Order: sequence, then C-alpha cells, then structure tokens
Amino acid sequence: MNLPNELVQQFRRNIQTYSIIIALIVIWGFFGVLSEGAYLQPQNFSNLFRQMTVTSFLAIGMVLVIVTGNIDLSVGKAAGFISVMVAHHQYRVWHALIPDQPLLAAALSVVLGIGLGILWGIIQGYIISYQGIPAFIVTLGGLFVMRGAILLRTEGKTIPANQPFFKTIAQGYIDPKYSWIIAGVVILFLIFNMFRSRRKKREYGFEQSSFAMDLSMTFFFSLLVALYVYIVNKYQGFQIPVLLLAIAAVILAYVSNNSRFGRYAYAIGGNREAARLSGINIRKSVFQVFVLMGFLTGIAGIVLASYVGYGTIAAGEGYELDAIAAAILGGTSPLGGEGTIFGALVGALIMSSLTNGLQIMNVAPGWQQLVKGLVLVLAVFADARLKRNR
Amino acid sequence: MKNDIILDFQHVTKKFPGVVALDDVTLQVERGEIHGLCGENGAGKSTLMKILSGVHPFGTYEGSILYEGKELKLENRAIRRASEAGIAIVYQELTLVSSMTVGENVYLGKEPRENGFINWNKLYSDTQKVLNKYNLDVEPQAIVGNLGVGKQQMVEIAKALAVDANVLILDEPTSALTEAEINQLMEIIRSLKAHGVTCIYISHKLEEFFRIADCMTILRDGKVVDTLPTKELSHEQLVKMMVGREMHKRFPPSKRKPGKVIMEVEDLHAQDPNDPNRTVLNGVTFDLRRGEILGIAGLMGSGRTELAMTLFGEYGKITQGHIFLDGEEIQPHSASAAIQKGLSLVPEDRKGYGLILIQSVRRNISLPNLSQFSSFMRIDRLAELRATMQQSKSLDIKAPSLEVPVNTLSGGNQQKVVISKWLMSKPKVLIMDDPCRGIDVGAKFEIYKLMTELAEKGVSIIMTSSELEEVLGMCDRVLVMYEGRSNGLLDISEASQERIMALATGIAESEPAK
Repeated sequence: MNLPNELVQQFRRNIQTYSIIIALIVIWGFFGVLSEGAYLQPQNFSNLFRQMTVTSFLAIGMVLVIVTGNIDLSVGKAAGFISVMVAHHQYRVWHALIPDQPLLAAALSVVLGIGLGILWGIIQGYIISYQGIPAFIVTLGGLFVMRGAILLRTEGKTIPANQPFFKTIAQGYIDPKYSWIIAGVVILFLIFNMFRSRRKKREYGFEQSSFAMDLSMTFFFSLLVALYVYIVNKYQGFQIPVLLLAIAAVILAYVSNNSRFGRYAYAIGGNREAARLSGINIRKSVFQVFVLMGFLTGIAGIVLASYVGYGTIAAGEGYELDAIAAAILGGTSPLGGEGTIFGALVGALIMSSLTNGLQIMNVAPGWQQLVKGLVLVLAVFADARLKRNR
Repeated sequence: MKNDIILDFQHVTKKFPGVVALDDVTLQVERGEIHGLCGENGAGKSTLMKILSGVHPFGTYEGSILYEGKELKLENRAIRRASEAGIAIVYQELTLVSSMTVGENVYLGKEPRENGFINWNKLYSDTQKVLNKYNLDVEPQAIVGNLGVGKQQMVEIAKALAVDANVLILDEPTSALTEAEINQLMEIIRSLKAHGVTCIYISHKLEEFFRIADCMTILRDGKVVDTLPTKELSHEQLVKMMVGREMHKRFPPSKRKPGKVIMEVEDLHAQDPNDPNRTVLNGVTFDLRRGEILGIAGLMGSGRTELAMTLFGEYGKITQGHIFLDGEEIQPHSASAAIQKGLSLVPEDRKGYGLILIQSVRRNISLPNLSQFSSFMRIDRLAELRATMQQSKSLDIKAPSLEVPVNTLSGGNQQKVVISKWLMSKPKVLIMDDPCRGIDVGAKFEIYKLMTELAEKGVSIIMTSSELEEVLGMCDRVLVMYEGRSNGLLDISEASQERIMALATGIAESEPAK
C-alpha cells in the first residue's frame, strides 16, 4: 500500500474526528476574515485556549459519564461552589491562620478543591449506583443543592481569590524558553513512541503500517505542537491552565482506552446486559466514573477561582450545559457507549471559538447563545447524515 | 362434513432468504370452532399466523387466503386492515403498556373521542362491557403493571376482542401462566366459542389441545401433515406426526469418552428475583461429567433458560438445593464469581446479552478476560490483540479485521465471537443456551464441530436447545425439563424424539433415577 492510500484510509476510519477538526478550522477562518485578522492574533489565540479550560475539565469527565449512559447536571454549580469555597478559605481562613505564606495557601486551596470535588463525586455516585436512583434526578437535585450552598457561603457577596501563587494556576504563563523545552520533550516522546510501538508490533509479529505512514503522522503531530508553542510564545508563552488540561486529557484518554476501568465504562454504555453477563461489576464502575467526574469538577473549580480571581454567586452557572454540549459536539453518543476525550476537547474549543469570535465581532450576547445552539444541532444533524451515507 | 368455512388457506408458500418457511399450505378453518395448530419450533405455525394478521402483507407470499368466501388481500397498513377485517391476534409475549390502565390498553390507538378529545367515560364503560361479555374478571381502571401475568393475558384478549373479532389467534397464550390461570383461560376460550368467535390456538403443551380444540392441524417443516378432529387423535399419534422425520447427517462424529463427574446439581429450586411469588425452578437434579455434552430439552417456558442463568449466578434466586463443582459446593451469585469458578455462559439472545454490537470484535472477545493481560492501570494492547487474534483464528471467525464492529458480521460469526469470548477464560463448564438459534445450517455445523472438539479436550458442555434433533445429534445425555423441574435424565441410547416429547409435555413421568 502506498502512502496516499494509507492516508485516505486513516481519514476514512476517523472521519468523525477529522470532520469536527475541519469544522473548527472553518470557524477560525471565518472569524479570521471577518475580524480582518484580529481573531487570529497571538494574543487572542492564546486567550481562546485559556477560555476553554474550565469547561474542558468538565467536558472530558462528562464524556465518561455519558458513555456509561448517565448524565451529571450538577457539575457547573459544583465547580462554582468549589471556587467559592477556595476563595472563602483563602480570603477569610488561611489569611488569618497562616499569614504571609501564599505558596502554602495555594497548595491548601488545591487540596481543598480536589477533596471537595471527590467528596461530591462519592455522594452522587453512591446514590446513583448503589441506591439505583437515576443520575438525571440525583444530579438535577445536586444542581439545586450546590446553587443553594453557593448563596449560603457567599451570603450574596463576592469573595476575592487573587493571591499571587494561586493566581498563576489559571493566569500564569510558562516562559517562552521553557515552553520550547516542553515542546521538544513532547516531540521526542512522539518519535520515541513511534519506534517503540513499531518494535513491539514486530516482536508480536503483527502487520504494521508503512514506515512512511508512521513517520508522516508523527511529523504532522510534532508540527502541530511546534506551531502551537510558536504562536503562544509570541504572546506570553505556554498558558499554565492549558498545560494542566493537556496533561489531564492525555492521562484520561489513555485510561479510557487502555485500562479495564475505561473499557468497562464503554462496555456498560454499549450493552449493559452483555457487560453484566461478562462479569463486570456495573455498580462499582459507575461509582468510579462519578468519583472521577468529581475529581475533575474539583480541578475545574480551582481553575475557575483562579481564572476569575473571585468566588461569586454566579460561579459556574450553565457550565454543565457547555460541558454536555462540548461532549456531544465531539461525537459522544447521548445513548452511551461511544465518545472520545479528544473529541470533547475539540468540541469545547469549537464552543469557545464561537463565543470568542462573536464577542470580537461585537455581536449581542443573545445572538451568541442562539448561534451556539444552532451549531450544536447542526453538527449532530450533519454527523447523523454522514453516518447514514457511509 | 365441513360446511361453513370461515378461513381457507390455498397453497400458501412463504420463503425467507435461504429458508422455505411455508411450503404449499392448504387448510380450512370452520366457523365457530377452536382449531389447534401444532408443530415443532420452526414448523411454520407463527409464520402462517403472521400472514393472517398482516405482519407479512399480501404479495410477500404465494397462494391465497379466502376469508368469509372472499380473497383476503392485506396490503398497505396490513396489520390495521387485518384487525378491521375482524382478525385479532394475541401474541406469545404480552404487548401491553404496563404503566397504563386496563381500559387505556384495550382501546390504545382507537380511543373513543368527542370533539377531538378522549371520552374517558365511554372508554371505561365500553371496556367494562367487553370484559362482562366474556366474563373477564379485571377492573377497567386497574394499572396493567400491577396485575399478574394471567390477568394481563385477559387484558390482551379483551384488547383483541374490543374490535369485534370474528377470528381470534392465540399464539402460545399459556407459556407464562400457572396451572390455575390456564384453567381460567380455557374457560374464557370456551365462552368465546359460545359467542361465535372462531379461535386458532397455538401451543407447545399438547394436553391443552385435547382439552379444548375441536380440530387439529399438524405442521412440520412448513408443510401440513394432516388436519384431523381431535377426538380421532391420541397423544402418541400427535407426537409422531410432529416429529416424524429422518435424521440427516447434520452432526459431526465424535469419539469422546466422558470422564468422571465434575458438577452435581441436587434438587435446585429458584424464584424470579423480581417476583418472589414466581417459582422458576422447581426441583432440578442432574450431574455432569468431564468432557460430556449434556443436553437440556424442554418446551418454551419449561425453565431451560432459567436453569442456565441460575447456574451462572445471574438470574434465579436459589431457595433450596445444592450445586457442587469439583466436589466443592458453590453458591452462584454473580457472573464474575461464576467465571472465577470456571463456569461460562453463552447466552440465549446474543444481541441482547452476548455482544456489544457497536464495539469491535477484539473488544468483545477480550471484555471478560481483560485481567489476563492487564495490570491495575494498563491493558497491554498488543498482548490483547495477539490473544484475540489466536482465538479468532482457531474458531475461524470470518471478519475483515478484528477492529470492525460485530454488528457487521453474520449471525454465525457473531455467535463465534460470543463463544471465543468465553473460551478465552478457559472454562471447565461451558453453558450454552440455545447456541444455534437463528443461524444458518452451514454455520450450525461449524459450531457443532467446535463443541465436539471442546468436549474431546475435556470441557464439559451444558447445552439447552429448542430443537430435539440437535439434542439427539449432539449430546451424550439429555435432561428433560417440564414446568421448572427435571422430568427425566436420559442416556442418548435410550432417548428418542417421542420419548423426550412425552417427558417434556408431562405425558410421561420420569422414572426413578437408576
């Protein structure tokens, strides 16, 4: 098989993934032209990615929740509550207990946020999987509970969360020099991984794709990484929250494909009965998925507090819907069993690209919402068509 | 003798791809009689009734049907047309909406209306009238889900009769009923007859025909064997007419020698886990030897599948009795525990229970076996791929690659995927619940061959089957189930279709164990 043929095949196999990437590029081009280039300036490009991080942490967890045939409507407000709690402790508690120790305060904030997130995941997961109450109901209730908890904690006031170290989590940049080093390490890893996987396949005696094919794929991804770092370096460097998101997403994508936990989640969503008869403990798996969702909600809450610099009453309002929309845009089946972490990231990026673009064009907020809604339905419609014609 | 013919099937032939389901069927049904229709699974009973009720519309079969002397042509919206013509059918599976009331179900899709809105008073009073007319003892306002299966069956009948049916088809109405409920149903059917309704009655329980049918038609392999008044028939004759065919060389030869006993089941009783009042197993006793293929025969509803699932720990709640594996008592309570003990189950409904259709062949095969090539966090994908590849090669699964979703494969290959999945866990005992249902003859032979090879390697197989030929051709011994209990364990040398049928229909009682 020659290289072009292999490339076409690769494209066909992953047509869903590639089609949303193409949609993303079309959106960028569209706004780039309309804004006469302002949209694609390094500063805006850098912000675009930074803006998607909070939703993205929720969206990558939401993929697995939806894959098991469940839903979590509470994540937005839960992340909001966590951001409020983090702000509250920084401003009112640690300020008094451990003054002048911003690093320790930041570390404690992270521990608190993650702890609360996991706790929330355990509570919801337990009720859903071990008590058998539908996730829709439990998490809808959870949404109200968290909304109430935010009001009680803030007492209607805005709490600052802008201590220097803590601020870095969502507002910091890695120095361009170090950003290049990160890019270099990633590229080296891609190359190393290519050779390692080829050698392994040879050892096992499997047929493998041609060297040219592997090399061109590796080259393509390396180029993307380099290009990204080149652009963000033109502004202030690699954005720390984006780096955190990338790490979380890579780990989660790996786990969803290569661990029993991930496989079981997809199996349960694909056919619950077949999964049960295959000896899978469905309750345990679903519980674990919700705990993981809680963990990611905790991180989203921390990043939110750091990003906004405040804990506010409106924190996280509607984020659950953005997260669900991102997952669905990225190809997650609302019926369960299908969906990818990478897809959800692209979905989130499409959403934030639309918001950002429309803002730059000074489009009224009402129209921004309207366009996002239409794009979501249109994308799923196009996808359904694509599948039927195949 | 036959004067007033309401239904007249003339040379009806129906072909499905690769199968002739009905082959030149000609039969007459007299007005007002109860006409029994019997035959083995796959004899064509249900297909014939599906033509009559419009599921297979006019034009998809050859021949003609005369109804009230005129040709019946059910074309577009055929099912509705059939019911408008006065032909009603009560299906084997209940087709009621369990969250609705009796009245809502009876008039579903034909609600009486006034000014465009449903007239609830008329709906419920009409329902009451139908129920009274045929002595059906149900409350029109009761929620169907709260009723027992017997009462639900009555609602189903009321639903069919609410359209003034002339002909009522009952397709195995008793398969889920208790003895008392069956008696009640028989009364209802007699009262229908008194009201001039013609009934076509399908059942697997032969004694029911002798209780109510005036006349019987026996089908075999899509052909009519004969139509006779029930009075002129005996049980033995009926069974012979149903099964009387030669055995072809459809099964692979085997030189296996079953070894010592590996599994023993003693007086097993179990109930439906969702309904403690429903007993599903009512005293099952048997033993299984190493490298043996043990057949489980029985009619629909006799507890075959329930037994298979209960042994695997995934269905029945065991209330009494013991199961020993390798001399050690086991208490199956979950699939994962059963797998660990060395039991595997190839479930009856491979699409519903066996496979994840949207996932690849590789993922399906490796699903219950992931612990073989994974540590806490990581699955060794190449090891997984190698193992699934070996498995699929040894079973000769025909798929373009291991990465295609299983819903693109043929039925036989899908079944091989299910079997591969379970062989990978190296079971001592493989339970196969009707493994050859719905797959074509060639693929069947391959699966039979595979089973024979496994048994020769020392795997013990418990195979339930709805086809007697399969049981006789494949098994070393046959356990016959009747109403949830074991009614005889026959060595293959003493088993015959007639003998098994007699035990399975409860005509003969099991002899004391030797």
